[in-house]
Amino acid sequence: MPAVPVVLSRRSFLGRLLPAFGAALGAVAALRPAALLGGRRPPGAPSRGIGALRGDGSAASRADAPRTGRDADDEPSEAVKKVLRELFGDREIRTGHVQLDMPEDPPDGRLVPVFIESDLPMAPDDYVKAVHLLVDKNPDIHVAAFELTPALGLASIDTRIKMRATSVVRAIAETSRGEVWWATRKIFPATNGCG
Amino acid sequence: MSARRAARAEPGQGRILLPESIQRGSLVHVRTLLSHPMHTGLFNTPDGEPIAAHFVQDVVVRYGEETIARFRWTSGISRDPFVSFPIRADREAPLRVTWTDNLGGVFEASAEVRFS
Repeated sequence: MPAVPVVLSRRSFLGRLLPAFGAALGAVAALRPAALLGGRRPPGAPSRGIGALRGDGSAASRADAPRTGRDADDEPSEAVKKVLRELFGDREIRTGHVQLDMPEDPPDGRLVPVFIESDLPMAPDDYVKAVHLLVDKNPDIHVAAFELTPALGLASIDTRIKMRATSVVRAIAETSRGEVWWATRKIFPATNGCG
Repeated sequence: MSARRAARAEPGQGRILLPESIQRGSLVHVRTLLSHPMHTGLFNTPDGEPIAAHFVQDVVVRYGEETIARFRWTSGISRDPFVSFPIRADREAPLRVTWTDNLGGVFEASAEVRFS
């Protein structure tokens, strides 16, 4: 549960911090913290031209990257499609009803916090029977399956995973009635946590 | 390898953390933790020797006699695996978690759900 407010408050804190740095230290000094923190800038915040100044555009492209997994680069690879087919056959996977909260650029690929929650019911005749976690670029794509029952009252999982490289992460809820819902996010770990 | 790192590399005690006060029928957040290396099998020691895969692959959560959740993991879960999930506290009963790793290691922890 605490993952959500913590991340949000950190972001808004940084949002307030950045202009303060710029005013206090001047444009040149401001480049360094801005380059470090640029990736965490909430989408829609003014870009301040930092990516352009650095000449590589990486800060801007990270912040502007869509979180829907619709990038060409984010399409499931053949290996990911195979995992999905083995799990769900040819059932349709729809976006929605799943919330996936992760830091966008975790400093350590060995320890990446993941928070998954679904607003789907947990009633005896209609519940989330499994939450699957897939990391497209990991050696083991299907990182974990969490099999749940209505006794939990809410489909919510908080854990920590390893990530090898920049990758799309998919949180998938499978209901007892056979529906499949997911949320996807692209995550940029700073180090390789898988070897 | 320092003594502290060596100690951390050995699988050890599992823990379950429950809130201090639990109301009947409320949604309670359970936090579970096990010290375990969760080796992927993809790393070497500093001497170049491969480190064999050693990771928890099955976690069973029982509330009283009922199995309420079961987690199937790979070595993609971080070292000292932590997982938190809710339960609907509708009865006083022990909550038990059993972790099983790929080398046959079995680790258990339990906590009592008691209403206050």
